[in-house]
Amino acid sequence: MPGQQVPDTPRADEPPAHDSRTREEPTPHTTREPATGAPATRPARALAAWPAVPLLAALALWGYAVRHTDVSALDDYGLVGALHPTFWVGLAVLTAGFWFTVRDPRRRSRWPLAHVLGLLVMERATQALLYPTPLYAWAWKHDAVVDHLLTSGGLQDADRLGDMAVYDQWPGFFAAQAALVRLLGVDNAAMYMAWWPLVSSVLLLLPLLLIYRTFTTDRRLIWTAVWLFCVANWVGQDYFSPQSVAFALHLGVLAVVLRRYSSRTSGSSGPSGSSASSGSDGPKGLDGPDGRGGVRQGQAVWAVLLSLLVVAVVVSHQLTPGMLVVTLLALALTRRHRDWLPLVTTVVIFLAWCLTAALPFLSAAMPDMIRSVGDVGANVETGYGTTPTGAGAVAMSWAARLLSGSVLLLALAGVLRQRVLRRRAFPLLLLAAAPLPMFVASSYGSEMIFRVLMFMLPGAAFFAAAALLPRVRASAAEAADAADAAARNAERPSGPSRRRFALPSFSPPSPPRLRYGAWLAPLVLLAGTLAFVPSYSGKDRINYFPPREVALVQRLFDQAPDGSLVVAANRNYPLAYEQYWRVDHYWFLDDDRRHVDEIVRDPAGVLARDMAAVDAPARAYFLLTQGQTANSEMNGQLNEAQLRHVRESVAGSPRFERVAENSAGVLYVLKPAS
Amino acid sequence: MTPQDLVIRMLPPFGGWLALASLALPDGSPLRGAAVAAFLAVGPGAALVRVCGPALRARGAEGPAERRDADFAHHSDLLERIMLAVLLSVSAAILLSTVLIAAHALSGDRVLLTLTLLTTLAAFCPALRARPAPGTTPRPTPGTTPPAASGAASGAAPPTRKGSTS
Repeated sequence: MPGQQVPDTPRADEPPAHDSRTREEPTPHTTREPATGAPATRPARALAAWPAVPLLAALALWGYAVRHTDVSALDDYGLVGALHPTFWVGLAVLTAGFWFTVRDPRRRSRWPLAHVLGLLVMERATQALLYPTPLYAWAWKHDAVVDHLLTSGGLQDADRLGDMAVYDQWPGFFAAQAALVRLLGVDNAAMYMAWWPLVSSVLLLLPLLLIYRTFTTDRRLIWTAVWLFCVANWVGQDYFSPQSVAFALHLGVLAVVLRRYSSRTSGSSGPSGSSASSGSDGPKGLDGPDGRGGVRQGQAVWAVLLSLLVVAVVVSHQLTPGMLVVTLLALALTRRHRDWLPLVTTVVIFLAWCLTAALPFLSAAMPDMIRSVGDVGANVETGYGTTPTGAGAVAMSWAARLLSGSVLLLALAGVLRQRVLRRRAFPLLLLAAAPLPMFVASSYGSEMIFRVLMFMLPGAAFFAAAALLPRVRASAAEAADAADAAARNAERPSGPSRRRFALPSFSPPSPPRLRYGAWLAPLVLLAGTLAFVPSYSGKDRINYFPPREVALVQRLFDQAPDGSLVVAANRNYPLAYEQYWRVDHYWFLDDDRRHVDEIVRDPAGVLARDMAAVDAPARAYFLLTQGQTANSEMNGQLNEAQLRHVRESVAGSPRFERVAENSAGVLYVLKPAS
Repeated sequence: MTPQDLVIRMLPPFGGWLALASLALPDGSPLRGAAVAAFLAVGPGAALVRVCGPALRARGAEGPAERRDADFAHHSDLLERIMLAVLLSVSAAILLSTVLIAAHALSGDRVLLTLTLLTTLAAFCPALRARPAPGTTPRPTPGTTPPAASGAASGAAPPTRKGSTS
């Protein structure tokens, strides 16, 4: 029944106050004032503020670690090998403080929030403080796209930009950044993009919290899920990129749909609400048949706001709208969220963009996209140049896999163990499962497995947190519903398949707990929190470009005439796409393996031949930097000795002239043919 | 309109004009960055949420199955409004910048000025109210503003009304 509310009967599941399974959001009076209503005494206030101690201690340890970490010589373990030990101690103190704060029902939510923000600062701001230049070649590439929009003042097509025209067909994020660069009065986005991971991660907290609060009032569950999401989200899509913003908007749309488009609240047909609307929000008188006009007006306004969010997603990123569509479809197929408006709106906007602004790219890429549909094996394989090589790279890669695998296994355990929660938060289960079919659709440049993992995380983290917490028991209303359903099913001779869904959801009496069991959950949380660091920053030897490497590449672009060609081993160096509208690139490790072997056999001769097609006054440059070497070596391509051989061959060839050299790399130019 | 309502209503456009004024500061100034970033991150969305708020609340909100707690639900509603304010602001900046770059007219000043003007316009717009069906008397919920103001509550049942919040 639309708008039906569960009567506030005494709950069968309400445990005594001393029971550790107390699950309700504490009301303010439980935390601030004694039962008499008198102002809290000084000792009580001091006791209430004790969570500040581990938080401040952790931040102090982190600050000390940042001041005493040297990143000038990273090894194959990335930042892990360079971090001062106090960083790890700080992370452990923060996790312990969070656990003991969040499990105390008398604490207000501001303390778990403060701990989560502390975690994000330690996770996502450490690199911004340690490294003098922004990380990730991809972030530098996006800075180049912003620079292109500022330079050209408009969108351009593939005739002028080649493959890079794809960014002009999804320009939302870049156009907004171009405006921001001008408004801040900075030279380029590189001035602030090192802080983007922190900004985008904090942005995710808003929709994430709202989604979790739609399904439970249990503070422990909400905040532990948020914590797990933060530590399991190592995939690294939080950097300066369209997907970082599109993911937040995607979660925002889902939060609205889950909260406002449930059949229990929207007035549409649906199951009788065993749990009804939250009660505080909105004139319930309008939800009934006497207020359809107001409901319809509300629906129209919600549709407009959702459309704004969806359009922003669609104009910014290619993959996120697809993920949004499959998730909304999965929700719409359930009785609880059978409102097709969000799905239809998203599909129409997505198609409208694909068939107009993005058509040039899609028409060119469609044959490959169609070929990859259904080729799951190829879509999940990593391919040449993405195989971790060397003890450090392999160890860091396994840490990331173990972290993701553990969270997904925990989520599975949570789903199996928490029968009541499984039913209450079934839409979150769909959120976790809906991205999986995208494996069938595309490889997305060998990244689909990581993207699917990221989009699964909001749902998976919720059930993973549930696995770490005591079992949720059914409310009186749910128990009554389940008992009725069981009774109805018992009258029918039909199969056990229906019966499975109708079992009373009372939890069986818990066996006496083992003492070590109480420590298992915080230890798992701590292990996950510590595992985030190698997963996220274990490849910083690849991703970090010291200032001297930036200076070397900048020197190239300062002197390169229009139409010049830059030849490099791969694209893992800063400013790799700088001025891509006037300077071309050739990354020989992207080429066919046979050609790479030819280059290794006779580097100077083959490279000079490849570069000879450049007509004066344009020049052909050969650039080899430490970022390229690290990327090639740690991903199973050419090793350091082979690249040194290439460098020495070019240095010894009379066809090349040295332009610049420093400890981060070399720059040569091909002499004009005489 | 209470002083608090007035502040909530006028804060977003004030932030916009403050951000515009901050452009007079030197390039790269932290104060300028803070003013611009704060307005772009929250201002336009906050103004839009204020205008749409009452109409949005006509649609009930799904809540947890556990015992309903007025504070919990209130905090969830507040969180939803903050989320919408931020995400709609980000969306507005993205969409406006996209339109301007497609028209070869992108500039930072133009984006900020347009968003500030729209935010100011929204501040002077009356809130969209949930409209009851003709001849009906909506039942106000304790703690919420009656959807059609006092006229409906007294049984006058105005068919439609878009008025100010005060």
